[in-house]
Amino acid sequence: MARDADFVARFHLAYTYKRSTGPVIGRFLTSLREGRLEGVRTASGEVLVPARAYDPRDGRATTDAWVDVGPEGTITTWTWIDAPAAGAPLDAPFAWALVRLDGADTPMLHAVRGPRAAIATGARVRAVFADHREGGIRDLSCFEVIP
Amino acid sequence: MIPCAVTGIGQTRYAAKREDVSMPELVREAALRALDDAGLDFDGIDAVVMGKAPDMFEGVANPELFLAGALGAAGKPMFRVHTAGSVGGSTAIVAAHLVQSGVHKRVLTVAWEKQSESNAMWALSQKFPFQPPVAAGAGGYFAPIIRAYMRRSGAPEHIGWQVAVKDRRNALRNPLAHLHLPDIDLDMVKASPLLWDPIRYLETCPSSDGACAMVLSADVTGDRPPAWVHATAMRSEPMLFPGRDEVSPRAGAACAQELFEQAGKTPADVDCAEIYVPFSWYEPMWLENLGLAESGWRAVDAGRTALDGDLPINMSGGVLSSNPIGASGMIRFAEAARQVRGTADAHQVDRARLAMGHAYGGGSQFFATWLVGTEPPG
Repeated sequence: MARDADFVARFHLAYTYKRSTGPVIGRFLTSLREGRLEGVRTASGEVLVPARAYDPRDGRATTDAWVDVGPEGTITTWTWIDAPAAGAPLDAPFAWALVRLDGADTPMLHAVRGPRAAIATGARVRAVFADHREGGIRDLSCFEVIP
Repeated sequence: MIPCAVTGIGQTRYAAKREDVSMPELVREAALRALDDAGLDFDGIDAVVMGKAPDMFEGVANPELFLAGALGAAGKPMFRVHTAGSVGGSTAIVAAHLVQSGVHKRVLTVAWEKQSESNAMWALSQKFPFQPPVAAGAGGYFAPIIRAYMRRSGAPEHIGWQVAVKDRRNALRNPLAHLHLPDIDLDMVKASPLLWDPIRYLETCPSSDGACAMVLSADVTGDRPPAWVHATAMRSEPMLFPGRDEVSPRAGAACAQELFEQAGKTPADVDCAEIYVPFSWYEPMWLENLGLAESGWRAVDAGRTALDGDLPINMSGGVLSSNPIGASGMIRFAEAARQVRGTADAHQVDRARLAMGHAYGGGSQFFATWLVGTEPPG
């Protein structure tokens, strides 16, 4: 009689895809590479960060009005990571947090450096940029709590 | 059943690479044009029905999550439809059913594909354990079936070349078409490399980026005439079973038969059709399968399917001229609707009153068809 293993085969499936940012996310990432944070104004007057070509609430196109935001902001909610896994943005314990940058109407998800005791909803944070920037979200290394 | 009309059509231009836009922006390009055509904005839409090619084609596994915001679906029902290459057609049919059933009044339907950011040939050629591999991609799969049609029907080799030339000449009248080959002729097709005997390079479809959208509605909005949906039909069949006729699949014939019965029409009533022809030979093969011609190849040979023939086929240039796979079926449906609306510009058929849209997918396993007309049904 066949063993169970005879009815199981593992296989590997992999392929490399591509993605285009389009002009709006492209401009947001270009600014990030220059060490600046920018949002875009929606038709109803709010500022989206990260920028998008459309307002996800109503589907309307965003405007051509770009707005400097940050580099400081406020934590709106968070969760603490005691033991960062491989590939985490920081090696030391940190918080995943939603941070609403000053001048923005939407919070964005990013890492906030500890200590644990400083992390709180309402805590003020500041952007920390990477020394070497390539036009990706990791150009913003993390946020740090303003003492 | 509540009468359903196509009140808006929007298409992107089709091209090998649309690296100037992201996927959400590509899809929006078509959606916003369809809304504009219908004189609406997203506020006027009650539900969104979206279709795309199989997930591995582009590596987008949850397009409904990815695109809900871009398609103005916040606060509305959103559906995603899957039926391989026929998906653009079946997506439009699901949207039409939502209107005809009275569940929703106005539905935005969208289908798309960005082949430049994927590799369909790779996705079609995967080897999964315990499943027969296709391995050869679409061309290799269909080539022996085409050969079987040639042997069965006695069709001469030049029929495929004629379709390839006719569709590319039609594409020259369609500014949205991907391939514009002004010098196309039989010699050029005949001289192109043999890819999968008997299919030559110029008898195959291109790989395109693009999106197509329609507004399907129970009320007529906008300034342009609507296309009324007279019938919709879908059929499926397994890839392999004893006695399967792969040249003229039973599901395709049954789909067309139901379509005409529903509408109370016959194939002779069709003024023109957009049918899914990714390889030239599939025009004569589908003409027979759908009941549009007794001998498909003789209809082609006599020029009946040309733009000035008595049964124009693929006036837009067809899949042979633009193939964003996930959208290709919807483009057939939308182009049929353009004909009866009288909005097909330079590839308009004179006095087109009833038009057929057709799509198929998988190993000729999924069929989707609709009939649209100038007058309301009934």
